[in-house]
Amino acid sequence: MKSWTRREFGRLTGAALLTALNQPKARGQAKARVVVIGGGIGGATVARYLAASATAIEVTLVEPRQSYATCFFSNLYLAGLRPFESLSHGYEALAKQNGIIVVHESAAAIHPAAKTVALNNGSKLSYDRLVVAPGIAFRDRALEGYDEAAMEIMPHAWNAGQQTRLLRQQLESMEDGGLFVLVAPPNPFRCPPAPYERASLVASYFQRRKPKAKILILDAKDTFNAQDLFQDAWNRHYPGMIEWLPAQFTGGVTAVDAKTRSVITAGATFKAAVANVIPAQMAGRLAQQAGLANRSGWCPVDPVTFESALQPGVHLVGDAIIGGDMPKSAFCANSQAKACAFAIAADLTGSVRFPAHLFNTCYTYLAPDDAFSNAISFKPVDGKLKSVISFVSKVEESSEVRRQAARAAEGWYDAFTHDVFG
Amino acid sequence: MRPVARSAIATGLVLLFSQSGAAAGPDQGAQLAALCASCHRLDGGGTGIPSIIGLGEERLTNALLAYRASESPNHIMHVIALSLSDEEIASVARYVAAQGSNPR
Repeated sequence: MKSWTRREFGRLTGAALLTALNQPKARGQAKARVVVIGGGIGGATVARYLAASATAIEVTLVEPRQSYATCFFSNLYLAGLRPFESLSHGYEALAKQNGIIVVHESAAAIHPAAKTVALNNGSKLSYDRLVVAPGIAFRDRALEGYDEAAMEIMPHAWNAGQQTRLLRQQLESMEDGGLFVLVAPPNPFRCPPAPYERASLVASYFQRRKPKAKILILDAKDTFNAQDLFQDAWNRHYPGMIEWLPAQFTGGVTAVDAKTRSVITAGATFKAAVANVIPAQMAGRLAQQAGLANRSGWCPVDPVTFESALQPGVHLVGDAIIGGDMPKSAFCANSQAKACAFAIAADLTGSVRFPAHLFNTCYTYLAPDDAFSNAISFKPVDGKLKSVISFVSKVEESSEVRRQAARAAEGWYDAFTHDVFG
Repeated sequence: MRPVARSAIATGLVLLFSQSGAAAGPDQGAQLAALCASCHRLDGGGTGIPSIIGLGEERLTNALLAYRASESPNHIMHVIALSLSDEEIASVARYVAAQGSNPR
């Protein structure tokens, strides 16, 4: 095979160029190597945008699972409004369209000095840059009695998969008139409006199938995200069905008793027919083991390049980072991942670096045909990610506007998962 | 055509390779268009969110300027457009409009 000159590269357009680069000779040349650990939203987006924007970089994605199920939109599944399969996305397109090497293994350890990643199967990957997108883990002993066995009785369903299916089964088999208790976590946690969206959509399911059922939210907080929009919707759509108790009323949830499916607060015990316990969170285990998290349990990063403040050459994106004003959402992970990918590409290939734009957009369902949205832009200021401009839907919006937002949300899910997984 | 090439054409992301910038990395328009791709499919498909493919540079520019000027009719696009300079609006409009003329 002939060698490619820069001029010939220039004449080729996207697909042909990609094909040319996939030839063994080109791949054998000295390419910079980026390893991405974690095939969730942040990790998959970094891998995809790096592979697409810098042809001189070889991208390896390390992810043990064959497919990823999105936690966003899983509340629609819980309400019987969407099949579980529609939440699941494979990695085939990232390999085929973008030439990413996908390794279905777990990362066992990171060795920043040697610039290697040890995999569970005993093999080792060398990197020039490493991106870690470990997502969240649950804090140990945050709630007395809430261990792995208890999770099988009182699911968290905060990582989508078997836990989400389990909660759906429990909701389906619950008798009419039963009490669904949702334990909402302390800040910061993955997807701030999501526990309350879950309560809303489960209420819509109960209204259709178990109209005498009740929902009790036991919160670790005294206020929550978009509280006015949720409480307005609960009064309009599900009067009398949802009760929310802030920590100042209950003293907070201190323990669970899986045997009796009870949630215990400072002053009372609530026996549930179905309990969804969402515990306090921190950065994923690998970040903790690799020294990427500080004492807060989360990972400090440079707000421009998303390089770790603790380990040079290692970047982090998504729920695991200390994102300043950026919430832990899939949209933020995707936005951070693009900024991170362009910064790494600029460093490794010398390409021009442009100012990054960081956003969050959320569509949140209050009922199947009633959704609201928000949008926030962020900028790095004094080493922190600060929110610059923020708009959110208003309580007094017409039902037609809300119906349109629910339709837009469906379109957003399709486009967004396409952007991440190809 | 090989299957790899065919599937590559079907994805908006391959658009990041511009003819002049293939070896030098994505240009500013491509990086800004990556923001669009979080909500708009760049292959022109999708429902529920309006397509931005095939609109032309002037229409895209005018739409972004209008979104920047007012919260109505869409506060999400208002926030996005407010974060863009005139130069960035021109750059992303030029880039996205050029995708419309590509054979797909």
